[in-house]
Amino acid sequence: MPDLRLPLARLSLSLCIACLALLCAPTAHAQGNYEIQVYGAETVAPKNLMVELHSNFTPDGQKNTIDGVIPTNHQEHETLELTEGINDWSEVGFYVFTSWQDGHGVQWVGDHIRPRVRVPPSWHWPIGVSLSTEIGYQRAVYDPDTWTWEIRPIVDKTMGRWYLAFNPALERTFHGPDVNQGIGFSPAFKVSYDFTPVISAGFEYYADYCSITNPCPLHDQQQQLFAVTDLNVSPNWEINFGVGIGPTASTDHLIVKGILGRRFNWGHHPDVQ
Amino acid sequence: MITRRRFTQLSAMTAGALLGVNKLSADALAAPPSDITLEMAPFTVEASPKHHFRTVAYNGQVPGPTLRMRQGRPTSVTVRNRTPDPEVLHWHGLFLPSAIDGAMEEGTPMIAPGAEVHYTLTPDPPGFRWYHTHVSAGKGLTRGLYSGLHGSLLIEPVNDPGAYDAEAFLTLHDWGGHFEASSDGNMSPSYDASTINGKMLGFGEPLRVRQGQRLLLHILNSSATDVHWISFAGHTLRVIALDGNPVPSPQSVPMLRLAPAERACALVELNNPGVWIIGEVRKHIQAAGMGIVIEYAGSSGNPTWTQPDDLIWNYHQFAASGKTPVSGDDVRRIDLVFDSKFHGHGNEEQWLINGKSYPNTEEPVLTAGQRYRLVMKNQSTDPHPVHLHRHTFEVRQIDRSPELHGLLKDVVLAPAGLTTKIEFTANHPGLTLFHCHQQDHMDRGFMMVFRYA
Repeated sequence: MPDLRLPLARLSLSLCIACLALLCAPTAHAQGNYEIQVYGAETVAPKNLMVELHSNFTPDGQKNTIDGVIPTNHQEHETLELTEGINDWSEVGFYVFTSWQDGHGVQWVGDHIRPRVRVPPSWHWPIGVSLSTEIGYQRAVYDPDTWTWEIRPIVDKTMGRWYLAFNPALERTFHGPDVNQGIGFSPAFKVSYDFTPVISAGFEYYADYCSITNPCPLHDQQQQLFAVTDLNVSPNWEINFGVGIGPTASTDHLIVKGILGRRFNWGHHPDVQ
Repeated sequence: MITRRRFTQLSAMTAGALLGVNKLSADALAAPPSDITLEMAPFTVEASPKHHFRTVAYNGQVPGPTLRMRQGRPTSVTVRNRTPDPEVLHWHGLFLPSAIDGAMEEGTPMIAPGAEVHYTLTPDPPGFRWYHTHVSAGKGLTRGLYSGLHGSLLIEPVNDPGAYDAEAFLTLHDWGGHFEASSDGNMSPSYDASTINGKMLGFGEPLRVRQGQRLLLHILNSSATDVHWISFAGHTLRVIALDGNPVPSPQSVPMLRLAPAERACALVELNNPGVWIIGEVRKHIQAAGMGIVIEYAGSSGNPTWTQPDDLIWNYHQFAASGKTPVSGDDVRRIDLVFDSKFHGHGNEEQWLINGKSYPNTEEPVLTAGQRYRLVMKNQSTDPHPVHLHRHTFEVRQIDRSPELHGLLKDVVLAPAGLTTKIEFTANHPGLTLFHCHQQDHMDRGFMMVFRYA
């Protein structure tokens, strides 16, 4: 008797994805979908290293080569993020972006470095506030803008079971077609609800309006909405999973994303510390 | 659901006529002077020149005045409330009638703002006790046990052995509380400053001693929520009493662990001249101020601290040696399960005893003279310093240890995820409150009342 479990599981997953896509909205295409995450204001504790693997797959993306950029359709992006806590108000993150696709194999895409500071806990602000800056390179076959810089204010707030985070990121291209665009505006927003101590779920919104002073037409904007869940299984683990749709022509239409993170302590931390 | 705050308000409104509660009036002012008068009023604690905390205090000082009473000798007391809120004063560890024990859940009337109460109490049992407010802090972190309303009380036994040359009272407290996300995923209080006797390390008067003395330290943790670990650099602490009750097996220890409301009495042989620190063992708490300088006569210079590497403590070492008598069928068992209900990562939990929060918790009925065993299964992820009013209990099992006996307390830290067993004899009829002494836990339901048949 044939084993029906695997086909059934695939069918179930496909149905879930299709239902989510239908619930959330129409169609789409790609943005820099290597690290899809709305940042919270908290930083990694000093003497701690956060290791995260961002796994993003595009079941329905750009199918044509445009300006020498490889189509995103059926691309699997694996991004390694290493974040080291410096003190109780700063950290430095480092990214290694890779892409895996039929016909292209596993490819290195680029690297970014991301220092971040936050309002220290001792200030007792009623909201979490943080500022990150990210600079890095990506190969032109994956992004025509090869050198980019981003500054990302981060504001978040936990209210009972609700969590809100807003990242109004500003971007600048140093090398590539968008050099003349000036400062780009790429906001991101997250709202989630704690259903149990372990399970939170909600929505994440990502956008790229092109220039902050001269937004591009809607069909050129990137707009993505993800249904996400966070599993708070342990303070040492970060687990996030989501399915997102892109309703504009410039956005990948369907993306499945996952983040698996593990926090490591450096050295010996006796209780007296 | 009636909140504790609302319940307090209602009780204050309905119960004010008992026990001679009066608005300050000519009658009140004409009352004969009491042996002890405690006046609660707004006060600013100067923990250091840079750390001021607006609070309320007894008699304009933090901690309140150290009181001494003689066991069994009736003592008249006046308690005056000059604060803007209803208040009540709890005599922690004493065998007092419910009407004056100082918990409105037991029927003690609240003292309205501007009012005062007069009563006479008979101090018992002897030992190191304390007094403190017993009101809810509401949703803030300034009232109740977060405030400066606490002080030490020594009930001197009829026959005091007095095997010491000098004694000192040290009160540990935390100030400037604010909520932060904790490791269990909920909001918990953390603090801006920690003090001993109201001062941060280096800002109070040193404790001056002489070589060759035997110093008896009475140490109280009056913190609203935090456990503290205390060491005396260069010296060993010989614990002779816990919660004011002599321990069957006094032990010399490198440090004390005191949960909120716990006390320890420790003898110190002053045989190491110098300038030392008694302080919190955990570095960040001592850095927040929890420490006091001990200065030998003729010594000077910077105080010395010796940092322990580990936190070491257990209750078992102080229990009686020898075979532990087995509790018979005559001891009635009461099972209590501690748990919490999640209200989001941005909220505190709601605390439950047997699935219910105060004021909806069960009210077990006790029979006078009967011995009871409380089997407390702590299913939560927090340890809880549970306190039984108006009675002393015997710690029988804790930390997966074999049964022990002889260790008498009124607060015990029930570890997370484990079962703690205590026994007591119901020999003080009247409503008897049982609760977690963490202010944020009791304010969110971790209380129950025992009734006598």
